[in-house]
Parts: sequence; C-alpha cells; structure tokens
Amino acid sequence: MSKLKIDRPLLITPGEPAGIGPELTLQLMQHWGQQPLPDPGLGQSLPEVNELRLAAVADPDMLAERAATLGIAVRINVVPTPDAVPPAQAGVLNVLPVPLSAPAQVGQLNPDNADSVLSALGQATDWCRNGQAAALITGPMHKGVINEAGIPFTGHTEFLQARCGVERVVMMLATEGLSVALVTTHLPLAQVAEAITPERISQVTRILVHDLQTCFGCSEPRILVCGLNPHAGEGGHLGHEEIDTIIPTLDQLRDEGLNLIGPLPADTLFTPHWLNQGDCVLAMYHDQGLPVLKFKGFGHAANITLGLPIIRTSVDHGTALDLAGQGIADPGSLHTALGYAVAMQHEPSLHTKQA
Amino acid sequence: MPDLKPVQDLKPVIAVILGDPAGIGPELIAKLFNEADIFEGVHTVLLGDRWLWQEGQRVAGIDHQLPEISEFSQARQYSGPVFLPMDTVDQDAIHYAQETAAGGASVLALLTRCMDAALANDIDAICFAPLNKFSMKKGGLQYEDELHFFADHLKVTDYFCEFNTLGHLWTARISSHIPLKEAATYITEARIIAASRLMYDSLKLAGNPNPRIVVAAFNPHGGEGGTCGREEIEVITPAVKACQALGYPIQGPLPADTLFIKARDGEFDAVVTMYHDQGQIAIKLLGFMEGVTVQGGLPIPITTPAHGTAFDIAGQGKANVGPTRNAFLIACRMGHNLRQQRIQHT
Repeated sequence: MSKLKIDRPLLITPGEPAGIGPELTLQLMQHWGQQPLPDPGLGQSLPEVNELRLAAVADPDMLAERAATLGIAVRINVVPTPDAVPPAQAGVLNVLPVPLSAPAQVGQLNPDNADSVLSALGQATDWCRNGQAAALITGPMHKGVINEAGIPFTGHTEFLQARCGVERVVMMLATEGLSVALVTTHLPLAQVAEAITPERISQVTRILVHDLQTCFGCSEPRILVCGLNPHAGEGGHLGHEEIDTIIPTLDQLRDEGLNLIGPLPADTLFTPHWLNQGDCVLAMYHDQGLPVLKFKGFGHAANITLGLPIIRTSVDHGTALDLAGQGIADPGSLHTALGYAVAMQHEPSLHTKQA
Repeated sequence: MPDLKPVQDLKPVIAVILGDPAGIGPELIAKLFNEADIFEGVHTVLLGDRWLWQEGQRVAGIDHQLPEISEFSQARQYSGPVFLPMDTVDQDAIHYAQETAAGGASVLALLTRCMDAALANDIDAICFAPLNKFSMKKGGLQYEDELHFFADHLKVTDYFCEFNTLGHLWTARISSHIPLKEAATYITEARIIAASRLMYDSLKLAGNPNPRIVVAAFNPHGGEGGTCGREEIEVITPAVKACQALGYPIQGPLPADTLFIKARDGEFDAVVTMYHDQGQIAIKLLGFMEGVTVQGGLPIPITTPAHGTAFDIAGQGKANVGPTRNAFLIACRMGHNLRQQRIQHT
C-alpha cells in the first residue's frame, strides 16, 4: 500500500457566512491533529495530518470575528496565494482572502454577500482547475439568498459543472462502507420516470465507473443498479422502465466491459447480501438512495461530485442557520469530506486529465 | 340480593391458521403453541387440517394434544388453545417447497371460514402463518392479494391498507405496487387523511395510548418550498392540517432522507409513507424479516409475520418463530381491545 503524498494545498470554502460553515472550519483547525483523517478505505495509506496544506477561501475578518465570538482558539493566517499556504497546524487557519461586502451576522442572511460567497467558490474552483490546489471541499451555501440577490443559482454542483464546462456530473454520497450515486438528483418525483433515459443512464454510469477507477483506485468497480419501480418492475407488472430502458442500457454498457449488477429491487439491494457484492450503488432518484446512506452514516457522510476535472467533496448538510453561532454543530461531515478529498488523490496525475 | 348480571367473557377469541402447507407455516405454528404464557388471557382456535398440524409438530419436534371443537362458537368454553379441524387438502397433494393449486385452495377455504366467523362475531382477531401468493392464485384467488380478498369478503367499504410493523415502529403507504410514474396521482388529501387516521386508530387498538405519527414528504428535501415539486404544499400539508383539525395529532411532512433516522431513534411510533420503496427500503434496513404485517381497516385485526414461506428451509425445523410470536401477540392485544369495545357497545 503506497502512501499518498499531496504537495498542493486543499481548499475549503466555508460557504454561507451566516450559517455553520465558518465555525465548522474553525473547529476543524482548533482540533487539528487530535484525530487522524477519516479513512474512507479506498486502499491507500493517508498522509499524516501535519503533512497536509490546507486553507479556507473566505473573508479573514469574518472568520476572526466568528472565532472570537465563539471562543475558538484559532488564529487566522492570511496567505496571498495557494503556493504560499503552509502545512496545517492546530490553532491556525490559513485563509486565502475573499472579502465580504457587508459584515456577516450569525443566522441573518444578507443578499449583499451573495456575490462574494460565489466569488470565493469560483476562485477556489479555478485554483483547483489550473493545478495550484489539490481539491475543493465545500461548506454549505444557501440557495435562496443567492437567488434573492438576483444571481441565478441552483446549487454547488450545477455551478461547478458550468464553471468547469462539463456536460454532465454525477452526485455521489459516501460514508464508511457505502457509496451511493444518483441518476437523477433534485427533481420532482413525478418527473423522475421520464428523466430515466438511455443517454442519462449511460453517461452517469460511465462517469461513475471512470472516477471510481481513477480517483478511488477501484480498478474494476462493481456497480449495483437499482430499478426504478417497486420490485424493479416485477417483469413489467409494476412499470416498464426496467424492460424498456434500464435493462437494454445496462446490457449495452456491459458489452463495453462494465461490471453492472441489476436492476435490482431497491428494497432488497440495500441489504448486506447484495451490498457485499458491489463497490457502489447507482440509485435512480434522490430518496431511493440517500435515506439509506444517511441512515448508515448520519453526520459522517460526504457529498462528492464526479465527472469534474477537479476533486470536489462537500458536507452533506445545509447551513443550519438556527444552530449557527452556538458552536454546537457537528463537524463530522466536514471531516469526512476532507478525508475523501485526500483519499481521492489516488492518481494525482490523472486529476487534471480533462482540464 | 344484588342483581346478578350475566358474566361477560372479556377474553378475545384469536383464530390461528397454519399458512401455506408447503412452507414453514405449520412448523412455526407448532413452535408458537409450545410457547408458555402467551395463551393466557385469550381463547385461541387453531384452524386447519389434522395431518398438517401433525406434520408441523413432527418437524418442530413437538407433541401437543389440543382439545378439538367443531364450531368457532365453542371456543369460549375452553380456557386454553383448541383445535378446529377442517378437511381442505390431501396430504398426497402437498410437497414441501412446491406451489400448488391444492395448497392455495386449502388456504383460501380456511381464510373464508375465518372471515365468516368474523362476520358472525365469533372471533376477535386472526393470525396466519405465511401464505404463498402464487399458490393462492393457482388455487383460485381472484384478488391482487389476500388483503383485498379479506376486504371484499368482510364487506369493507372504507379505507383499508397494510401496515408493516417492526418493534415499536409502524409504517403505512399511500401507494404500493404501482409504477413509480403513477405514484404522484395517488397522493391525494383523502388518502393521506384516511391512512393517517387509520394508523392512529390501529395503534390505539394495539395498546398505544398516544400514537406519534409522521407523514413523509413526497419529493426530495420535502419539495424545498415548492422548487422541487409541489405535492407537499398543495396536498400533503393540507392533509396533515385536516387531520389535526379532526383531532388527530399527525405531524409532517418531513423529508424522507432523514425521517427514518428519527423514527429509528424513537421520535415517532409510525410513518405514513407516500410510495412503496420509500417505506420498504427503510423497513428492510431496520430488519423487516423480524417484523409483522397488520391488515388495517378491516372489522377485525389480521396479523401475519412479514417474512414469506421460506421454501428453502421448509420442513427442516429451523425457522425462527420470533416474528410469528410477535404477530400473534399483536393480534391478541388488538383483539383484546376490540373485544372490550364490542362489549361496551352492546
């Protein structure tokens, strides 16, 4: 087992300044080194935490103020460029500065800051794309306030997709022992059936397999594919999408050498008998796959975007405005997201392949 | 001298059926009857073919001599379990692990006898060992499943549905075995209100004085304020409010991806789910095979273990009696409370 060596810095965007993102980032550095990085078990030895270089891309004054308010003993160290980010150490948060337009108040959304929050995300993305940074770890943003500011925004994933100029990305959630990728994501359930097309299934499956190979070090991924309908359609009695679309598409992909199991009834797929036979689950829609994942890994799951030319992982929770500023939010998901971002540096040479 | 009122028998009569003759049902019921203490407080009538009851006992390594009766109405004369023999199928026609028309027809005859007893108020609950849908279809079942057979035979016109129960947690679903693309058309206020009320009343009948029931959302993240589907705003929330206005403390809608974590941790007693996989994925994760299915909305409670006939281990004596015991105990609790209600109303 080779030990990963990551020479470029990892970038965290804390996200919405009124939410819990800033304090989670501060807490991460407050306790840095007290526990090893969570190892997603992708088959390589993770570097020691003090070998990593880590920086937040955000407003340093906002972070300093939040640390003071919450009594978090973390010093803010402003660095000008990713190249200048020093190794991470407990009690210090390196910050690549992107100033806010207005002072951030805990729990109070302010559309004036939407532009700055998006700039930070865009800047961090660009540093990853041009090879100055190793990965992007995103905190929660608030879609509503950005739209309120007059900037069309449907989510991180779509933003990154557009910024990186790729046609399709895949949302995957992962926790220890279970990874679930989705064919459709934030779509009204009534529209899911028509969105399950051969093109979409093929694109998503190919991206999933490719990234499992390159980023997860899984040379021949076995994908467990859910059916769309109850009992996977039960031979056409409970819906035809399996027969008409899913099965023929999977057969075609199998001809290309992909190792696909299914379509299986979703309620039996998520039992140990089947899960032990696969490396990743491909679910047809959001609530088919994610309840199980959250069930197994609540507080310790990461949201990963596949199909991008950069490594991007994220927390799996929202801004939690009601909890913000109290220091009681759980940094588990941010820690997990960081662990995945590190472990996914499996073949660093491949990461900028599509850029 | 005080007035002597006729003494009312407060104990319910529970009918028990051996299930599909080719599966693990007969051996499970034999094991059930070997359990101590669970038959106190109820009159239990085992209904079935004599040879099959003996076969179940042989497999389970048990020998019980139950007193025999010929009519359900005689059950109240006995304090312990009794056997009501029927002649529904020849032993030669049945082989372990084989779906047969003879086996299915036998089960239908036994269930029909129970339905008639229910209509005559002779029994207060039914618990049956696993059935086999294919055997029953071969044997003449004209309905999509046994629940619809029960409902029609029992002349049910109001809402009825199946509950999946697992320990403290019960679930119902607004739609079940239909294509996913049709699920949205099943999301109506009337169905959600009926299912939520039925869940509440059924949990009370099962002995829960304050059922905490939550309704699941339909869309991802509960529709995110209408940006990701409008069923929550237009249908589900009004239905929940209507339940509350009727005095039913129903909660929701809550997003499905975190709801079952709360349910697992004991925040709710029941979840009303919107479609098959929403509930079934969660309940199988929680250990569905240990669970019990309760047929809700019928004149008397009917329960069965959630697992199937397990043809792969039938006749080997190794089937786990736990879910059957749970099914029987729920039938006893619900039957007991139903009996009290019936006595109060007469």
